Amino acid sequence: MKKRLLFLSLIVSFVVSAQAQMAKDSLRSHAFSLGIGSSHQLDTYLSPQNYDGVQITLMRETLRMTRLAERRISFQTLWQGTFSHTSNATNTTKDWGGMISYDAFWHYNWTPTASLRLMAGAGVGGELGFLYNTHGGNNPAQGRLAIDLSASAMAIYRFHLGQQPFALRYQAYMPVLGVMFSPQFGQSYYEIGQGKLNHNVCLSQPANAFSLWQQITLDVTLGKNVVLRTGYLCDIRQSHVNNIKVHNRSHSFLIGFVRYFRLMDKKQAIASSLIL
Amino acid sequence: MKRFLIIIFSLLSLCSCVDEQQFTNTPEGNMEALWKIIDQHYCFLEYKSQAIGLDWNEVRATYRQRLHPNMNSYQLQEVLCNMLAELRDGHVNLYTASDVGRYWSWKEDYPSNLDTEVRDSYLGTDYRIAAGMRYKILDDNVGYILYTSFSSGIGEGNIAEVLHYLRLCSGLIIDVRGNGGGQLDYAQRLASHFTNERILVGYTQHKTGPGHNEFSSFTEEYLEPSTTVRWQKPVIVLTNRGCYSSTNTFVRDMLCCPLVKTLGDSTGGGSGMPFTSELPNGWSIRFSACPQYDRNKQHIEFGIAPTIPCALQEEDLKKGKDTLIEKAREILNQE
Repeated sequence: MKKRLLFLSLIVSFVVSAQAQMAKDSLRSHAFSLGIGSSHQLDTYLSPQNYDGVQITLMRETLRMTRLAERRISFQTLWQGTFSHTSNATNTTKDWGGMISYDAFWHYNWTPTASLRLMAGAGVGGELGFLYNTHGGNNPAQGRLAIDLSASAMAIYRFHLGQQPFALRYQAYMPVLGVMFSPQFGQSYYEIGQGKLNHNVCLSQPANAFSLWQQITLDVTLGKNVVLRTGYLCDIRQSHVNNIKVHNRSHSFLIGFVRYFRLMDKKQAIASSLIL
Repeated sequence: MKRFLIIIFSLLSLCSCVDEQQFTNTPEGNMEALWKIIDQHYCFLEYKSQAIGLDWNEVRATYRQRLHPNMNSYQLQEVLCNMLAELRDGHVNLYTASDVGRYWSWKEDYPSNLDTEVRDSYLGTDYRIAAGMRYKILDDNVGYILYTSFSSGIGEGNIAEVLHYLRLCSGLIIDVRGNGGGQLDYAQRLASHFTNERILVGYTQHKTGPGHNEFSSFTEEYLEPSTTVRWQKPVIVLTNRGCYSSTNTFVRDMLCCPLVKTLGDSTGGGSGMPFTSELPNGWSIRFSACPQYDRNKQHIEFGIAPTIPCALQEEDLKKGKDTLIEKAREILNQE
C-alpha cells in the first residue's frame, strides 16, 4: 500500500512541476466536442452478459506549447465525461453508467515538413465512474476509480482545399501502468463500506487492463475565430483484475468546435494596448 | 532493431480483449450459463458436498439429459429450478416473468411452531407499534416484542423507546418466528441493545476466485453495544424454521449476548449474502455469495439450534395458548 501511495505522490508532484514550465506567450487551442455513439459493455461483477446501447461523451481539450526542450514539448489536457445507457440482449435489464476522466499529456514535437507535425510522449490521468445494473440485489452497482501513466502519440496534418484550411489529426494513447480500485470476485460493497478491504487497490498494466483511446478529427476553419471539429472516437477500456472482467468499448461520432488564443503576461497586454 | 520488434510484439501479444464466454439463448445455453454462474460464484458448494453429498458436476450431467431443443419456457424453468433445488438453499431463486423459482423446504418440510391467530391474541388490540415492532407488557409483567420482518425498518430511537417502556418488566420475549429476514443493519441494531461490551459474534468470508475453495481469510464480525438504552434483564428469543437470512444472523448475534436464550425450533438458516446474476434469456438468478459463520467458525447455513427446544402443542392451541410464549413466560418468571 505504501508503494502505491508513493507512486501516486510521484505522479502528483510530476504534474505540478511540469505545469510550472508552461510558456506564457504560446498559442493555445481549446476544443469542446460532443460524441454520440454505441457502447458495448461487460462487467462480470454485475452480470456475465454483454450489454449494448448508447453512449454520450462530452470532451474538453486544451493544447499548447511549453518552454521545455526549446519549445518542442507541448502540453495537452483532456477532460471527458461519459454517460451510457445499455441493455442486455433480451432487453430485460438495463445498465446505467457514468464516468469522468482527466488526462494530461506531454508530447515531444517533430515537424518533418511544414504541414506535418508528429508528437509522441506520456501522460498521467485518472477516472472516476460507476455502472448501475437494474437487476438489484446485493451487487447492483460497480464503482470505477483509477489513476495511470500512459503512452501517447499524435499526428497533425494541415492542408488546404482551395482557400479553405483543414487540419487532420489522429491521436492514440494507452495506459501502461497504474493503480485501480476493484472489489474482490465475490466481495460485497456492504463489506467494503464497513472498511473490510481485501486487495481492492490493484496494479494495472496492459496485460491485465489493456485499454486504448483513439481519435481522428478533421478541423475546418469556418470564420476568423471559429473552427468546426468533426471526427470519430474509439474508446476501449478493459480490465481483468481480482477475477472480474470489465470492458467498455465505445465508438462515437464527434462534433465540436475549436478556439485558438494567445495568453499574454501583463507587460505584453499593456504593450498591446489591451486594458482588462 | 529485430530484437526491439520481437520485444514489442511479445508485449502486444500479452494485451488482449477482455471477454466472457457467452452462451446461446437456447435451453442448453441457458442451463450451461446457470450451471457456470453457480459453479463459480456460489459460496457453499464445497461445504454442501461434505454436508449433504452435493456433486455439482453430477447435477450438471443429470439435468442436461432432461433438456430438449424444443422445450418451452415453462418446461425449461421447471428443469432449471429442480437443478437449483439440489443446492437446498432458500437464497437461491430463479426469477422469470411468470414465476419465482424457489426452494422453501427449509421451512415447508418442518412444523411451523406458529399459529399467527393465537400469537396475535397475546397482543390483543391495545398493543403499541414502533416502526417494525409491535410490543406490549403481558399480564405477568413480561415484556413482549413481535418483529415479523427485518425489511421493516427500526431506528435507535424506536428501540430505545420500546425498551424504556418495558423497563419495569421482569424479562423480555422477542418473537421473531416467521421473520424471513430483510436488512442486516436492522437485525444488528436491535441486537446491539443486549450487550454492554463489544463482542465477537461470528465471521464472514467472500470468494476471491471461481474455484470452489477460493475464499478470503475469515473476517471477524463484532457486535457493538448501543450507546442508548441497553437491556439488563433476561431475554428469550422465540425461533422457528421461518427465521431465515438476517433473522438467522440476529439469532446468532443474540446468542452471544450474556442474558439471552433462544426457545422453540431451529432457525431456517440462510447464511449466505445473496448476489444476483442473469441468464442469456434474461431470467435473473439469485444465489448465496458470501458465507457467514458463528463465532466458532462453524457454518449456520442450515440453521441454529435453540437453547431450549420447544414445540407448539395442539392441546395448547385448542385452549388459545401459544406453547412457546407460555414456556418463555414461565422461565422468565422463575429467573
